[in-house]
Amino acid sequence: MDPRAFRRFKKNKGALFGAFLVTIVLLVAFVGPFVSSQDPNEQYRTQLLTDEGVPRGPMVVPGHLLGGDTIGRDELARLLHGGAVSMQVAIFATALTVLIGLYVGVTSGFFGGLYDSVLMRLVDVLLSMPFLLVAIAINRVVDNPALSALYVLLGLISWTTLARVTRAKTMQVREMEYVQAARALGLSRTRIVFRHVLPNVLGPAIVIGTTLVAQMIIVESAMSYLGLGVQPPRASWGSMLREGQEMMAHAPRLMLYPAAFIVMAVFGFNLLGEGLRDAFDPKD
Amino acid sequence: MIQYVIKRLGWAIFVVAVVAVLVFLLMNRVGAPAVATLGPNAGPQQIQDFKRKNGLDQPLAVQFAAYLGVVPCVRQGSRAFKDHPDDPGYCGLLQGDLGDSFTHNEPVARVIAHRLPRTLLLGVLAIFFEIFLGVSVGILAAVKRNTWFDTGFMATAFLGISLPTYVTGPIFLLVFAFFFGWFPVGGYGEGFWDHVYHGILPAFTLAIVGAATYARITRSEMIETLRSDYIRTAKAKGLGPSTIVVKHGLRNALLPLVTLLGLDLSLLVAGAIITENIFAWPGMGALAIQSIVGLDAPTVMGVVLVFSAMVQVGNLLADLAIAALDPRVRLGNEPS
Repeated sequence: MDPRAFRRFKKNKGALFGAFLVTIVLLVAFVGPFVSSQDPNEQYRTQLLTDEGVPRGPMVVPGHLLGGDTIGRDELARLLHGGAVSMQVAIFATALTVLIGLYVGVTSGFFGGLYDSVLMRLVDVLLSMPFLLVAIAINRVVDNPALSALYVLLGLISWTTLARVTRAKTMQVREMEYVQAARALGLSRTRIVFRHVLPNVLGPAIVIGTTLVAQMIIVESAMSYLGLGVQPPRASWGSMLREGQEMMAHAPRLMLYPAAFIVMAVFGFNLLGEGLRDAFDPKD
Repeated sequence: MIQYVIKRLGWAIFVVAVVAVLVFLLMNRVGAPAVATLGPNAGPQQIQDFKRKNGLDQPLAVQFAAYLGVVPCVRQGSRAFKDHPDDPGYCGLLQGDLGDSFTHNEPVARVIAHRLPRTLLLGVLAIFFEIFLGVSVGILAAVKRNTWFDTGFMATAFLGISLPTYVTGPIFLLVFAFFFGWFPVGGYGEGFWDHVYHGILPAFTLAIVGAATYARITRSEMIETLRSDYIRTAKAKGLGPSTIVVKHGLRNALLPLVTLLGLDLSLLVAGAIITENIFAWPGMGALAIQSIVGLDAPTVMGVVLVFSAMVQVGNLLADLAIAALDPRVRLGNEPS
């Protein structure tokens, strides 16, 4: 990474705050489940629910720091494990998206021709689809989808923007004199792509990738909120929000905890992405 | 120009067709609508009857062609079959027939005709909030550039982009409906003004992300416009600040917003799916989820077709509006 870019990044307060939020969220999601000793799916109805079935609040029952959820499961454990699920889906889906997007973008920008036209029309079609509906419909008809199915699905339909941007950048780089020189020297295409094209498109890819994580969190939580994403009893921040909403009158906190984490994660990744954009490309 | 519109319309139809094929295969090939509709206790005879009634016993290609209306009807339960059992004729999209809903006991077209106006009402309200809030905050932030007002509101706008509707919606419900009791806790109400009253909270929820985007774009466009020479000329002529901002600045700054408005349709569609479910608003979004959960294939097809068509039309209108408003824009051949 360019040291000047890194300096610009360090000066940007918003970006640093974004990095801070992202670190917290990642810690919660990936270290949290190991710290918590409770099983997120086990019900402690007698301890964590009152006789009227209202969940007990935080700091009331020893060993259950945040009290119970709507049906007497440990809220803290569910938040931590749900975070792991949400972030895992978001990050793997983004990784897949970036891989496909880079591959399609670089190859179609570099080779051009019919290959390029066909792929770009495919991008147009994918971009004009009602994304959320299609994702939900696919996830519904796949019987009892595994978690991996969800992120493969999200990855397969969201690489379009990234492909467009890397394609444009590749076409720019392809015409550069040093690339022409490399060609004239008889270097292989593979070598040119890896040595000259990829380093140039990697910056924008990282920026888009970071904001994509935020998008993926939004989509995954939306699907789980609607009950058509991560399957119960497995927790995810989106499904916890839905469950919490049902108990809004008695325990609004059950809705607010996952909401706060979702906002923190999305806001953090958005800020980080924006900061990286400014750092890599100060003109914009 | 006309050639361009025709080309674009052709492309739009192609895209909608691709989506239709995809969703059709998804629902009828991968999913098992008969079992999903009749429940796990249905016997083989019952399933067979259901399949015959809805044409599900035919090969997929025939089903799809019949759905489009290019081959004769295969749904024995359809009106075409009831009226002329020997020569049923056609009963597809081309004849304006979207099939019969598996769960609603009604033609899909009628279900949609019932639901669509509600979603449109929500959309119109949301667009009103988006423009009203977004543009006014954007203008004020641009005029008061680099003051606490500007920084504060722009930070809020950035946060607004990061607030998904399923987070803001339940919180609004909690605060404005539950604690303060200013608005109903979801539902649709009776009579036009009651619908509007019920729609305010969901529409506001739906509008937040858009309003934040509008505010950011209006601000940056406005700042650029206010720097240009003709604004200095207007100032030199001695025009008042409000005249300059509204008459000279705003008109040019609004151009990009027109494009945004068209693209907004797809965001609103996606947002409506979630918002309607939060607020129990019985529109197209709620219908979409219900029918997907119930694998009500004809209804899903109908909803997806309507949504895709709306998005395509929105994109086309946005491009045409830009070309009409900005003489520098020439519409090219590339459908993009």
